[in-house]
Amino acid sequence: MPKNMHYAILEAIQGEMRRDKLLVLLYEYQRPSAGWQGRSINLEAEFGRPRVQFCAIDEQWIVGAALGMAMTGVPAIAHIPSMATFIPFELMFNHAGKLRHMTGGQAAFPMVLWADMATRSPYQGGQHADAGLESAYARLAGLKIVVPSNPYDAKGLMVSAIRDVDPVIFCHYPMPATGPDVPDEPYTVPIGEAAVRTEGSDITLVGYAPQTVEIAKAVEELAKDGIRAEFIDPRTLAPLDGVMEPILQSVKKTGRLLPADEGSYSFSNCTEIVARVAEALPGVKVKRLAFPDAPAPGAPEMINYMKVDAAKIAAAARKMVKG
Amino acid sequence: MHHGDSQGQSTQAETRRAAAGGLSRRAFVQRLGALGAGTAAALGSRAESARAQYGVNWSDQLPADQLVAMYTDMLKIRLWETKVKDLILKGGFRGVAHLYVGEEAIAVGICRALRKDDYIASTHRGHGHLIAKGGDMAKMLAEITHKATGYCKGYGGSLHITDVSLGILGMNGIVGAAHLFAAGAAYGIKVRGTDQVAVSFGGDGSLQNSFFTSAANAAAAWKLPWIGVIENNGYQIWVRAREVYGTVDLAKRAEGFGIEGRVVDGNDVLAVYNAAKYAVDKARAGGGPTVIECKTYRWYDHYGAGGARIGVDGAFGLGYRSDREVRDWMAKDPIRRFRHFLISDRVLSVEQADKIEADVAKAVDEAAAFAEAQPVPKPEDGLKNVFAQGAVPLRNV
Repeated sequence: MPKNMHYAILEAIQGEMRRDKLLVLLYEYQRPSAGWQGRSINLEAEFGRPRVQFCAIDEQWIVGAALGMAMTGVPAIAHIPSMATFIPFELMFNHAGKLRHMTGGQAAFPMVLWADMATRSPYQGGQHADAGLESAYARLAGLKIVVPSNPYDAKGLMVSAIRDVDPVIFCHYPMPATGPDVPDEPYTVPIGEAAVRTEGSDITLVGYAPQTVEIAKAVEELAKDGIRAEFIDPRTLAPLDGVMEPILQSVKKTGRLLPADEGSYSFSNCTEIVARVAEALPGVKVKRLAFPDAPAPGAPEMINYMKVDAAKIAAAARKMVKG
Repeated sequence: MHHGDSQGQSTQAETRRAAAGGLSRRAFVQRLGALGAGTAAALGSRAESARAQYGVNWSDQLPADQLVAMYTDMLKIRLWETKVKDLILKGGFRGVAHLYVGEEAIAVGICRALRKDDYIASTHRGHGHLIAKGGDMAKMLAEITHKATGYCKGYGGSLHITDVSLGILGMNGIVGAAHLFAAGAAYGIKVRGTDQVAVSFGGDGSLQNSFFTSAANAAAAWKLPWIGVIENNGYQIWVRAREVYGTVDLAKRAEGFGIEGRVVDGNDVLAVYNAAKYAVDKARAGGGPTVIECKTYRWYDHYGAGGARIGVDGAFGLGYRSDREVRDWMAKDPIRRFRHFLISDRVLSVEQADKIEADVAKAVDEAAAFAEAQPVPKPEDGLKNVFAQGAVPLRNV
């Protein structure tokens, strides 16, 4: 078992805080400590205040302070909980993403917004199960957005995010400890590069974060029917150009594109991916699977019916290949 | 089924008190000094404090049936939530819960000063507010277990459970938003020209995002009939409020906006009622907003039943607070205190108080049985209620 997601992220931050004596972490209640196989990381104990500081329920402060620090040469990570993903929207929209451009390149915010993301879990009812908000952030110019799907990518992308001179939103979906082992040493996963998870020739499946679990299962199901699916995990949503390269190559080969989205159907990252493919490769077959344009209901019967899962991905892919 | 008993009980109580040649409450309070008991001292100081602060001890004027109704409501909250805690611990619970146990005096003290047509806006820890405003315990349990016949038909669950017909503007999973919506509702009251009031509840953690600031400023500027209630239980999720706030008495923040701020013992239902009655009367008369900070404590964890056991009150062994602190606060149990007062004041006999508790326990068991028997929602109903008309299309096929 590789290191778990939280441990891998904290290990990335720990390495960077040791390397950069000014790097600060502000957070709310999600204490920066984690354990794995008898080892533990506790950033509060190691770095103390003011470099590691818990704050009031005040995302405007956490993100705004990180921006203010970053402007003045103190790099910062702002960690906010999933139900507050949009509270700092204005700060990211009208400030973080625009300052470099507005000042003709004089000033910038080298900060990381470490945003916990909600999944389509039952019993939350509306506000705590609204996945896919990274799509709204991806619409904003001047922000880089990464969405790791496993602990290895999480650590590498967090290191890249911290070292990046532009503001980066690190979307932290709670993902299982799968994938490659996570080295102890710092390493980077480049922002703007997709990962081809499975190679295939019949259909291109695209999805990130929670949907990677469902797509991986669907790939196995489809193989039983003799359908070889290629599965690509974008990992970065903005900037998207580099991410599109392997997707375009893949669809050129398969002629079929099926992205699966934990988020809603309309105006999502999957919408964008389909649009770019359709533009570049006219005539290919495209389809999207997503949550409906509805809030997430609490009852499991309703939310499970509405979300995308492996069986539905496999069924849609089969239809596209054979139907 | 949940409101019938208090009237009968209070009539009995009145009868017994009359038969016993009982003292009037006012006379009783006047004699307390001579008694020297702990409760008497506490009561005496509350009465004095109320007269000093508000010019009158409002709680002294509450008739026996109202006192009994308050006691009943507090027990409903306590026993209903304790049932939820036990159901969670049993496993397989179809929902989540942020328990309010320990804070019952606030919901009941505030809501007793309200009319049915007044508004409240609640929090993620809001079951108690709903019960105190007259919510149905059975429909509540059906909702927090996401059944089709619950208050929100299974869509909302614990975090969003509400009865709009009782003037409840919703529970809310986003901390602090209630302050803004109640102040907005208060503005609406001004537009309509009625004498209603709007109350928002929020924890100590609800003051930082701009919601409270916007509410307080506008309410002060335009004398809106808004009452902001701060349930200061000392913890923002798992973070001690004193470690992230520069002030201890959070009601003082109101003063900077030009609003009267009151600090009360949130475990003393009559002290809370006094503050609420003062604020509500003032707001109805056009005197503008008040912020009431109630000092209290959360017996359980931020959410769920971590550190708790079936049949045992309180949650222990949680890393962020000491068990001694929990026991200290449990010793200030608002319900035990109020029961002691009611018996000392001869509003209730011990037997009557016990009978009320047994009746409430029975009603809670019936609520649980009702919820258990209710049907689950139809899957496709998730596509409805997005807009007033029709349903949205499914997008996963």
